[in-house]
Amino acid sequence: MAPLKRQVRTRIRRFELLSSAGLWALALFSILSMGAYRDFDMLPTFGAGVRKLLGSGPPVMLINWALIIYGFSALVLILIQMASNKRPRCSLLHLFYLGAFFFFYHFSNGLDENFWALFTVGLTILGLQSYHFWHYYQEQIDEQKEILEELIRLEKDL
Amino acid sequence: MFNNLIARAIVPVTIAVTGFVIFGCLLLYTLIKGDMTAEALHHVDGIVETVVRSTHYAMMQDDRDSLRNILANVGTLDGVERIRIYDQDGKPAYTDLEGVTEPGSIAIKVDQWNSPFLMPDHPQRGERQRYVDHSNGFIAVSLPILNEPKCSTAACHFHAEGEPILGFLSTGVSSVRLEKTLALLKTRMIVFCLMVLVLTVGGVAALLRMNLFLPLIRFMYNLQRAAGGARESELPPSDHKLGQMNRDFRSLVRQRDQARDDAAALTSNDRVADERDAPASGGDSSARYGSSETAGSDPYQKV
Repeated sequence: MAPLKRQVRTRIRRFELLSSAGLWALALFSILSMGAYRDFDMLPTFGAGVRKLLGSGPPVMLINWALIIYGFSALVLILIQMASNKRPRCSLLHLFYLGAFFFFYHFSNGLDENFWALFTVGLTILGLQSYHFWHYYQEQIDEQKEILEELIRLEKDL
Repeated sequence: MFNNLIARAIVPVTIAVTGFVIFGCLLLYTLIKGDMTAEALHHVDGIVETVVRSTHYAMMQDDRDSLRNILANVGTLDGVERIRIYDQDGKPAYTDLEGVTEPGSIAIKVDQWNSPFLMPDHPQRGERQRYVDHSNGFIAVSLPILNEPKCSTAACHFHAEGEPILGFLSTGVSSVRLEKTLALLKTRMIVFCLMVLVLTVGGVAALLRMNLFLPLIRFMYNLQRAAGGARESELPPSDHKLGQMNRDFRSLVRQRDQARDDAAALTSNDRVADERDAPASGGDSSARYGSSETAGSDPYQKV
């Protein structure tokens, strides 16, 4: 009985860690946003050669449209995942996409105007994802706790 | 439990709707601000173009009084805070409000913004420059006055043929009205956002409560009463919102009632038969059936 109980306890600890994974993504996004708010002045700027190699940034209007489509589809996908009670996907992918938007806005000189819109959509997507993480793993933890209680009861009966 | 269930149902919707509405409004505000600023800039460009065309003849004729009058008159237009012509060295030649400007005023800020473009070594010296300062509330345009063949051959003129730029026209227009309109737009958008949020969250909560939580609460109440021994006919009428679940539950209660009636009938028959046999055997029936009567009052208490 003891190895079983240990296994369940390990699983509970793992689920507890996973339930806060969304918060880690939110924290990373906040740090990224703070850098973007300061127009990434703490990072070294690209040289003229690299800038020339990269070419000019895409038009800001195009990035805006991409952001609208991305924000809408990401929210719908997370809601569908929540509705079907599926295991949440990794938040780092969203963090990567949001970072890419910051990067493109920065290079197209549109970050000042669109910072708050991007920050809000990022916060919404990662907030919802974080809630999904917490909710999903909290259910798993409850389930494991019930199993643990059952095991303890069985052990006492024996 | 239901509070928790309501919270769990509403929180994701609230986060998604709140975030997306605020994001949409912010993006829309940025786009509208850009469009309105472009329109205001176009208007200032129009003023600059008008001044250049009006002063063209006076310049060609070297009519300095007319030139001064034109600038003074344009300077009295509503919103025009600075209009100045600089010579090719970047020194003011004609100005609208010389000596009237205060430190920190829009006119001074326009001059400060304009001064680098007047330098002989500035790479963009020959291009039209535009600047919008939302925080200080002005729009400025600087236009180089280019040399023309007619100009260099004019009898009055002292410009050489090889000088590409003869001077600059600098204009600064107050954007207070634009800022006021944008502030009004922002306030209206915030009010609209709040209304959408209240309606969405309130609507979802009301619909959930009406269609799901209230029927569930009624169902739980019926379940509790049935568990306490109430018959199916004693339960409040169903509102049919839970469909098959409610029907199955009532069917189970009916079956239980039927079983209970059958058991009660069986018990009473047994008792009648026993009472009939009792005088013959001469036993104490009350002592004999005391426990069975207690059990018979509710045969499902033991279940």
